[in-house]
Amino acid sequence: MRELIQPVLTIAGKDIRDALKDRFILLMTAFLLVASLVALTVAAIALKADVATYIEAKAGLIALGKDAASIPDPAFYPLKLLRGFVEHVEIIGAIIGILIGYRAAASERGRQTLALIVTRPIAQWQFLAGKVLAGTAIISAGLIIAFIVAGIAVTVISGVALSVDDIGRLAIVMSAAGLYAVAFFLLGFVCALWARKLPNALLLAFTVWLSFVLIAPQIGDTLDPDNQVAGGVFKQLQIAKPQQIEILQSFSTYETIRNGIEVASPTKHFERLSFAVLGIKDTYAGQPLMPILAEKSSDLVWLLAIALALSLLLFVRRLDPNRLSKE
Amino acid sequence: MVTAHSTSRIGLLTGHSLAALMRERTVALLGLLFLILVIVSAYLGWSATSTVNAIYLRSAEYMSAQGQTLPPNPVLDTSPLALLRNMATYVSLIGALAAIVIGHQLMSAERKAGTMPLLGSRPMRPADLGIAKSLALIVAIAALVIFAALINTATFLALPEFRLDAIGWLKLAAFYGASGLYLLVFGFLGLWFGASAKSETVGLLIPVTIWLTLTFVLPQITSNINPVAALNPVSALAEPPASAFFQITGWALGSLSLAEAYRIISAQLLDFLPANYIDRAAIPAAVSLFVAALGFAGLAARAIGRMDMTKGDYDA
Repeated sequence: MRELIQPVLTIAGKDIRDALKDRFILLMTAFLLVASLVALTVAAIALKADVATYIEAKAGLIALGKDAASIPDPAFYPLKLLRGFVEHVEIIGAIIGILIGYRAAASERGRQTLALIVTRPIAQWQFLAGKVLAGTAIISAGLIIAFIVAGIAVTVISGVALSVDDIGRLAIVMSAAGLYAVAFFLLGFVCALWARKLPNALLLAFTVWLSFVLIAPQIGDTLDPDNQVAGGVFKQLQIAKPQQIEILQSFSTYETIRNGIEVASPTKHFERLSFAVLGIKDTYAGQPLMPILAEKSSDLVWLLAIALALSLLLFVRRLDPNRLSKE
Repeated sequence: MVTAHSTSRIGLLTGHSLAALMRERTVALLGLLFLILVIVSAYLGWSATSTVNAIYLRSAEYMSAQGQTLPPNPVLDTSPLALLRNMATYVSLIGALAAIVIGHQLMSAERKAGTMPLLGSRPMRPADLGIAKSLALIVAIAALVIFAALINTATFLALPEFRLDAIGWLKLAAFYGASGLYLLVFGFLGLWFGASAKSETVGLLIPVTIWLTLTFVLPQITSNINPVAALNPVSALAEPPASAFFQITGWALGSLSLAEAYRIISAQLLDFLPANYIDRAAIPAAVSLFVAALGFAGLAARAIGRMDMTKGDYDA
């Protein structure tokens, strides 16, 4: 068993050392951290502005003679501040995954060492497993740092210590983010391993990223009738929620197509799971974790299935000797 | 002074650069994706508008049965030009990325082919190469924009219920002018790093990182627009919370937030800018785009002029 695992660990160790020397991966990870801190700070400032508006409105109502006790206090959920952070993980986290995957293959092709490796007494799966292990470790380390920084920032900004339940929720979202970024790592790795020209591999991976991370969710979001009118169509028509549901039943086919476009994107699965677990979506705020996990387990299964499908593609196809050099 | 010889050299270099660009499959792939999305954009606008209208009619039935007063139909307030509101998003996503790749490819193809020392040995001023590559970039981006404009013109002609008057057509033309200018900003950015970066990959990734910052990070600081909301043409124009922070950042950084500047111009020209929307940037949006395009063009020309013409490849 040790003989089987040792080459995998050797390749993984070498790849991690190489990746840490790659300034662009470190730069992109730093970019994710900066973007996340910006998102959290801006969210806190926006919340402060909302609180000021609430206090002003409350004072106005009291001045008009309304009983202060009858005005409900707004509920505050610190994890809601993470919305922008989660969205940055969706966009930049996927790019970091692609870059790490691309580098894992490009470094070998650039140095012409891939052809050398396949002449050594090492199975193809061991080489690939070493690369995947290294990529997973680098991605996990980056995400752990990002989520710890985000957790500390939320505590400092909100002035509310995170509970054990909150930390558990963050850990679940971090694991889902890991699975999501690993799927993009596999995409970048597969493209860079198989493409005839290396820079084309990066462009191809970026085109897939653009299509599934930005365009598919954008189309789904745009087709949502409530996003077509500023403030929402039902709000403008002043129609209550139960009636909205009743009216929308007539548009079930349209909604099925719209949802179908959205769920074609792994990003939307990660977002739906994360927004529910962290209570960013209002309907899940303050709700217990287990029922949310049960409801959103299909999103987790989708992420897992995408990562597994890409892994299968990677391990089943044999390395092509014509694709082992730089060009 | 530009002589007839140098004009002919520039013309030759421009034509050759465009011919080489057309052979690049990734450029063709991104260009094709952009044009598909131009068609999708018109369909999305039509489909979403029709659905909102159908929801209004269904709601009107319900409200009439309840004896409630009917509010005005929001679709009637919508200009036919707003049918293309998603175009602004696709230009700023796939269009900008395609422009970066085109700009980058115009220089990287030359460097990879090892033709730089050969060009250096010809009787050519350093500026000639910069002018030729800039012209090739302008022609390639103009071609993308003209194709998109033709598709959208055909869409309006095919949908009689969305009829444009003379001002509407002028606004549509101005929108494509603004889109071309926005794409040129990113094209020159790609050209700049295609000429100055030490490695091909870094030359592509730095402009992509700048694009990410302009599209997703700056709008958050200046207007509290979350990254995903920035993808929706309507949500991206939401007013920021009433806070001194957003007043200051909007004024100071709004001019640098080029994606927002383009979004505001597009919303004005395609008639979907909310009536109460206030652009808080210190410099008007159109001026920001002009200055950015000119600035990046200058930086690209400087980088091309300073290239070592004795080096063949990135690694040489």
